[in-house]
Amino acid sequence: MQRESGPVLQVESLTKRFRSVTAVQDLSFTVEPGRVTGFLGPNGSGKTTTLRCLLGLVRPTSGRALVGGVPYAQLPAPVHAVGAALEASGFHPGRSARNHLRVVAAAASLPDTRADEVLEVVGLTDAGRRRVVEYSLGMRQRLALATALLGDPGALILDEPANGLDPEGIAWLRTHLRERAARGVTVLVSSHVLSEVQQTVDDVVIVSRGALVHAGPLSGLSSAGGVRVTVRSPDADRLLPSLLATAGVSAVPRGDGAVVITGLDAAEVGHLAFLAGCEIHELSVEADALERVFLDLTGGTP
Amino acid sequence: MTPSMRALLAAEWRKVTTTKMLWVLGLIAIGYSAMQTVMLTLIASGKLPGVPAQGELLLDPDYITTLLSQAGTAATFVLILGIIAMTGEFRHMTITSTFLAAPRRSRVLVAKMLLYGLLGAALAVITMTVVLIAAIASLAPFEHAPITVSVFTTVLAGAVIGMTLYAILGVSIGSVITNQVAAIVTALLWVLLVEALVGLAFPSVARWLPRGALNSAMNVGLTTDVSGGMTQADNLPAWGGVLVLLAYAVVFAALASRTTLRRDIT
Repeated sequence: MQRESGPVLQVESLTKRFRSVTAVQDLSFTVEPGRVTGFLGPNGSGKTTTLRCLLGLVRPTSGRALVGGVPYAQLPAPVHAVGAALEASGFHPGRSARNHLRVVAAAASLPDTRADEVLEVVGLTDAGRRRVVEYSLGMRQRLALATALLGDPGALILDEPANGLDPEGIAWLRTHLRERAARGVTVLVSSHVLSEVQQTVDDVVIVSRGALVHAGPLSGLSSAGGVRVTVRSPDADRLLPSLLATAGVSAVPRGDGAVVITGLDAAEVGHLAFLAGCEIHELSVEADALERVFLDLTGGTP
Repeated sequence: MTPSMRALLAAEWRKVTTTKMLWVLGLIAIGYSAMQTVMLTLIASGKLPGVPAQGELLLDPDYITTLLSQAGTAATFVLILGIIAMTGEFRHMTITSTFLAAPRRSRVLVAKMLLYGLLGAALAVITMTVVLIAAIASLAPFEHAPITVSVFTTVLAGAVIGMTLYAILGVSIGSVITNQVAAIVTALLWVLLVEALVGLAFPSVARWLPRGALNSAMNVGLTTDVSGGMTQADNLPAWGGVLVLLAYAVVFAALASRTTLRRDIT
């Protein structure tokens, strides 16, 4: 099924203060349709506040958050334009999942059959008539997602959707979001763990303490922080000067004969060692470079 | 098209019919009213052990009005129902999906006031029917003044108007005090305690307060003194009571639109 491309999401110089606490500080970024954008940052970095500003639930102190060029409250058919899953707790415990969806369907003038369709999509058909109080966290996440999909929206805004999902659920979510994006939907997914969304996202927007630290394609993230190469050699003393002589390269001896290098890839380091006539005991590229770059950018600790 | 009022009413109807709250509060309200009617009949009959006969009370047409007016007891439960309509959304954070579907928030408040007003009216009709049956059944063994159609319809009209307005008032109170427990406790303390005290001390002031205005709107004030000092003589005219209650609801709703409806939903 092909659809027209979804709305562009724009955050422009957004600042939000709650009393003395600044949750979001002069934040600007754009989310394009047809791509999955990861909205990343540690807990408490202002992600949820930003998403709630986009959805008209929180009023910015200054700046704007727009959906397809207009504030959320001015959308002619909000449930059809944007599907949002904000937290797993927004359900009446005594109401069944199906009835929860039928409430939202009624408000959006959608037929009741949509409730059953989205329950099917998220795999809750059998549990749909049970009260939400009996649901696990993972099931609530699926119900939140079903609510977001109800209006077959042009944009999806999902806050930590993988929380509480089992590995099977996460894999399903990944596939589903990719498919939606391929159909032109704008997808914005927040997470505090890069590795969780690494295989899903095309673009990343990284925030820390309410401010933007990096925005762009995921592929650009590793060059933004530099991948580390470790070389270990009994002749490290001879190798070090030739490494340091190369422009833009940093090389830090680790003491056990190993040197940690940024600015060169493994092949370049190996070539320099060969030229210097050094015996090599180890030549390795940092395994979880993206995660480390992410943590460096956000000032977090693993 | 932003959600039409029709769509919002449909959504509110779904909300209230898919949890137990309406049925629980409705049953309590109806049962409690009927029980009051039966109790007052038995007390007046003098057939209760340890209760002296109350003269010829059951022969007094006014006392028949009082028996039927016990349906008004249900108004307190309707008030709570209205309060929960709004506070329940904040308690369970369903207000998020409500406002996502209807970002023009004041329309949600209006839809709730309309729907709960209708529910209040419906509950009044059902309660009055049950109270009538309870009155007929409990009066049967005794000699009593007739239950006339005109008495019944007068009290019915009062109950419908009163409970409609109390439901609307409840929604508006709940939208100002969004903490469910705080809202219910405040409202109950007010109508059951504060107004009872004010009624004892200053009956002429009490009629301007919500409970007093309700009594006026229902035109039922008791001929005896058990309503807390206010008697029928202290009532505003019925239309005055209606206007006073509506004014309270409008003031609270206006207050909510400047506070709750502007608040960040986090």
